Amino acid sequence: MNPTSVVPRPISAETEHANANRKFGIWLFLSSELLIFAGLMGAFVLTRRAVFVKVEEWFTPTTFSTSLVSFNTFVLLASSLMVVLGIDAIRVNDNAKLKRYLLLTALFGLVFLGGQAVEYTTLFREGQSFAKPFGTAFFTLTGIHGLHVFAGVIWCMITWAVARRGTFTANNYTTVEMFGLYWHFVDLIWVIIFTVVYLTN
Amino acid sequence: MTNITATQAQATHMDNTPSAPSAHVNTHVEHPHTSPVLVFGILTIATIVEIAMTVLKLQKDILVPLLLGLSFSKASLVAAYYMHLRYERWIYTAVFIAPTLFAIFLVLILTSSI
Repeated sequence: MNPTSVVPRPISAETEHANANRKFGIWLFLSSELLIFAGLMGAFVLTRRAVFVKVEEWFTPTTFSTSLVSFNTFVLLASSLMVVLGIDAIRVNDNAKLKRYLLLTALFGLVFLGGQAVEYTTLFREGQSFAKPFGTAFFTLTGIHGLHVFAGVIWCMITWAVARRGTFTANNYTTVEMFGLYWHFVDLIWVIIFTVVYLTN
Repeated sequence: MTNITATQAQATHMDNTPSAPSAHVNTHVEHPHTSPVLVFGILTIATIVEIAMTVLKLQKDILVPLLLGLSFSKASLVAAYYMHLRYERWIYTAVFIAPTLFAIFLVLILTSSI
């Protein structure tokens, strides 16, 4: 049976009002997260400038780390595309495609985390640590972002599990939208981190 | 598909009987659909340009503003088209823009202190 031929049940005004509140709530949450990352990025930039002025002990990224991070950036951008395509799919009541794109999003998220793990391992082998100025600033900022990606992967899998039960329809996918907003936010923050931490180093 | 608001939907469909048209329609705001693949392509190209500028080792005074400008543009694209801020209610934009402006101000203040 073509899933798009199933007519989704209409939603009540109360549900619609609740959905609007939920979306507003996620936007408030994201704005608070933005402030957290603003503080972390400010601390990173401040540490970098302070170290350059007083002690020339800052880390210069190698070709390897820049290539790996560039790949990670493309992976995260692609994962955002998967989320958008998934939401477009459920808009026309295609639950199968939604599930597929959610799985791909989680997969890309895990690939990103794997890339970060490789990068961290390389840096530790090169003698970087939390005891050094670069290490403190870098691992704190990118580590907290990585935790957000990890939480996003878990959220993605929970959303996928709910989608498996056929909960989402063309009239009921606000929960997927909320996850999508969070994931795009994580991607947006990485876009800034990629430039500030790596490209302008 | 026509654009309808929640208020219009409620005003035109007040009958809840099964035979009547749906009393409450899907109120997800419909908007012109920009291809997400096109946006992804633009983001990819912008990222490649950023990396190329770094590899070319442009002068720092030119490189840093260009990189920050490109980065901000990419972030704006993600917010406008992937997060649908462009088509959503203004309050969502306000809630998101306000801390963004504060964040920029904070970083500028912190970096100008050295």
